[in-house]
Amino acid sequence: MAWVFLVLASFGEIFGVISLNLYVRQKTFPRLALVGITFGLGFLFLSQAMQEIPMSTAYAIWTGLGAAGAVLTGILFFGESAGWKRLLFLGCIIAGAVGLKWMD
Amino acid sequence: MAWIYVMLAGVVEIFWVIGLRYSVSVVQWLGTVVAIILSFYFIIKATEKLPAGTVYAVFTGIGSTGIVLMDYLFFDAELSLAKLLLIGLIVTGVIGLKMTSAPRPEEVSHTKEPS
Repeated sequence: MAWVFLVLASFGEIFGVISLNLYVRQKTFPRLALVGITFGLGFLFLSQAMQEIPMSTAYAIWTGLGAAGAVLTGILFFGESAGWKRLLFLGCIIAGAVGLKWMD
Repeated sequence: MAWIYVMLAGVVEIFWVIGLRYSVSVVQWLGTVVAIILSFYFIIKATEKLPAGTVYAVFTGIGSTGIVLMDYLFFDAELSLAKLLLIGLIVTGVIGLKMTSAPRPEEVSHTKEPS
C-alpha cells in the first residue's frame, strides 16, 4: 500500500505543478485553491508512504517521478521537445525507481 | 544573494521531509507546514534572479543528499551501495531533466542570467 501512496504523492506533485502554471496565467481564487489541494494531497500521501518506505528512498522516488511526470506532460500536452537526452534522463529516473522498488 | 536562497530552500526541504515522516504533535505538524511554505518561497525568490533549471537542479541535489545523510546519521537507515547508486541514478535523471528543460515564455520574462 505504501508504494501506491508514493505514486499518488508523485501525481499530487505533477498536478500541483500544472495547477501552479494555470494560476500564474490567471490569478483567480479557485486556481489558487487547486494549487493548495493538489500539493496538500501530495504531501499527505508522501507522509503516509514514508511510514513504511525509508525516508531517503521515498523522497528520491517522489522527486524523480514528479520531475519525470512534469516533463512527460510537457512533451505530451504542451508540445515540448522530446530530445534523446531528455528521454535518457527519464530512463535514469524510471530505472532508479524500479530498482529501489525491486530491492524493497 | 540568490544562491543563498537556493541553499536555504534545500536545507528547509530536509526539515519538512523529516517533519512529514516523524511529526506527532500539532506544533511539529505546524512547523512542517511552515517549512514547506518557506521552501516554496525561497525557490521562487531564487528563480527571480537565476535560471529556473539551474535552481531546481542544485536544489534537488542538496535536498536528496541531505535527506540520505540525515536518514543514515540520525534515523538508523540501512544504506547499501546499490541503494545509493539507485538514488544517485534518480538524482542524475532529475538534474539532467531540469538542465535540459527550456524555460516557458512567462518564465523568461522575469528570469535573468547570472552576471
